[in-house]
Amino acid sequence: MKTNSLAFRLFATAAAWNLLVLPIAGAIIYSLYRQEVETSFDRRIGVLLTVILQDSIDHGESEPGAPKDVGEPLFEITHSGWYWQIKPLDGKPGHPLVSRSLAGEVIPLPSEFNIEPNDRETRWANLDGPLEQKLRVAETIYVFGEGKKAQRYSVAVAATWGEVEASLRAFRTRLALALALAGIGLLAVTLFQIRFGLFPLHKVEKGLAAIRSGEAERLDVELPQEIEPLQHELNALLKTSHDIVERARTHVGNLAHALKTPLAVIVNEAREDTSQLARKVTEQAELMHTQVNLYLDRARMAARIGVIGRVTEVRPVAESIIRALERIYRDRQLEFSVDCPAGARFQGERQDLEEMLGNLLDNAAKWARAKVVFSVAAAPAEADAAGAWLEIRVDDDGPGLTPEQLAEPIIRGRRLDETKPGSGLGHSIVADLAHSYRGKFELARSELGGLSARLTLPLAT
Amino acid sequence: MRVLVVEDDRDLNRQLISALTDAGYAVDAAFDGEEGYFLGETEPYDVVILDIGLPKMDGISVLEQWRRAERNMPVIILTARDRWSDKVAGMDAGADDYVAKPFHMEELLARIRAQVRRASGHARSDIECGPLRLDTKTARVTLNGQPIKLTSHEYRLLAYLMHHNERVVSRTELVEHLYEQDFDRDSNTIEVFIGRLRKKIPPDMIKTIRGLGYRLSQEGDEN
Repeated sequence: MKTNSLAFRLFATAAAWNLLVLPIAGAIIYSLYRQEVETSFDRRIGVLLTVILQDSIDHGESEPGAPKDVGEPLFEITHSGWYWQIKPLDGKPGHPLVSRSLAGEVIPLPSEFNIEPNDRETRWANLDGPLEQKLRVAETIYVFGEGKKAQRYSVAVAATWGEVEASLRAFRTRLALALALAGIGLLAVTLFQIRFGLFPLHKVEKGLAAIRSGEAERLDVELPQEIEPLQHELNALLKTSHDIVERARTHVGNLAHALKTPLAVIVNEAREDTSQLARKVTEQAELMHTQVNLYLDRARMAARIGVIGRVTEVRPVAESIIRALERIYRDRQLEFSVDCPAGARFQGERQDLEEMLGNLLDNAAKWARAKVVFSVAAAPAEADAAGAWLEIRVDDDGPGLTPEQLAEPIIRGRRLDETKPGSGLGHSIVADLAHSYRGKFELARSELGGLSARLTLPLAT
Repeated sequence: MRVLVVEDDRDLNRQLISALTDAGYAVDAAFDGEEGYFLGETEPYDVVILDIGLPKMDGISVLEQWRRAERNMPVIILTARDRWSDKVAGMDAGADDYVAKPFHMEELLARIRAQVRRASGHARSDIECGPLRLDTKTARVTLNGQPIKLTSHEYRLLAYLMHHNERVVSRTELVEHLYEQDFDRDSNTIEVFIGRLRKKIPPDMIKTIRGLGYRLSQEGDEN
């Protein structure tokens, strides 16, 4: 999960919230529980204190009597942790009355630690008792006898705090464990939620990749309501960009048509004449023609760059061009042969492929003695190279080019042979188009004796 | 040889007519698709020069309709749209050749000659018949190597007969292929021109076949 991702943001906030909320919730639950346990413990001690005091009053008159019916067997078991004690105060001699469980020990009294009584005349304290037991002690002062015989007694009940503490500890451990499990569960659910919730975005990503690679023309995936508008807008945008390109092409074509007829008129008119002016006009008009073609081609290519790719089947394009050439050159009885696997598809516009193959095949047909061979091979993607390539070759058995001519770069408008009609633009158009597709264009000597034009273009997979 | 030029640009149309007339063709002109279609449908042309971007009816439709009506004269498309996709579309519609604007008139004339030759079954640019020799490139006729002077009508007549030598050519056919549409077609003028030609070349090369027409054949070849 990258830190700069939606998934990370969602997960991090969920985790932070968990880390913050679960411990606080744990602390609150624990303190409420502890309070509840302490209150009920105190209430039980308080009740026992009341019972013992009452019992003691019932069995004595001016002096406290030993309580007989407390109803708590723990007072009878030695060092059980539960004790009671009735002790005369103010230095008055006499044995204190104690529970059997005390077995000779004494309960430490809150009044000896200067603990103030609460509103029910009872003092409460947590004190260390016999055998290092932590005791919760409740003490009340009661006066037995009347007049001169009146005597203050301290009546106390103590219970060990240890067992409550142990149970609270156990509760705390279990609570922490339960909350930790809940936290882990929540994080797992969050992860799932993110994966599941963001899944449509993955689909969008895949759809866009398909459009870029030319497999799809528009985004067409099942999307949830919230991002469906995105798909709609994106498709509208794709269509707009496509329309813009089409319009640009149309305008460019119209411009060509509009300019070339007047140019033809000027050139023809000037050729009738032999004056200096006519020669200049002819020369300049031809320059204009070259420039018009150059920038029309550039505009066509620029209009295409960045536009969503198209896929064109190679064989039908080659066959339709060859059909046209067979008609144009039918007197020459040229033999055209096509060797093209059925699945060879060019990653690009049909018009551009037509332009490249048309120029190459026409050139080959112009020079061939009897034979033109068109062949295509698909080179699979190499591990280090980007994408797969189509290798297209057009060979003829004509005169070909000299090694010096082959070594020269392909320059627009330069004609290697002036004896046959042509604008000298063919090969440079092919080279420009091939480069615009990041392909290659080379000329070599053919095994048939003539020229071998070799074109490398992106293969659609 | 009769040529039809269908081109909406007036200047270019005029230039084509003048260049073609100078080269010895009888030329008809049309300025839009409908007019061009009608002429091509009704008149027997030896070659048609057809622009693609025409008013009223585009060139591709004109061509397709002619071909559907089995009008099989050679058609050369003349257009500014020089991308191969346009060329292929034109050729698929039934064109025989394709010339992109701007073009050199010499190139267009060469292509027209090639179409005429092809239609009459000649492979080379000069046609021989006995001592006569027609150079289609320069529009000149020589007799035993000596150039003979011909008026444009005489040239058209002799050139047509030479393209179709050893074949009987009817008077109507000659009228249809030698004169522009608006020309006064009195078939007697053909007889006048034949008479004049017979004075310039060995007279028995052009034989009159009664009731059928004329035939140009090598001297001494008796039928």
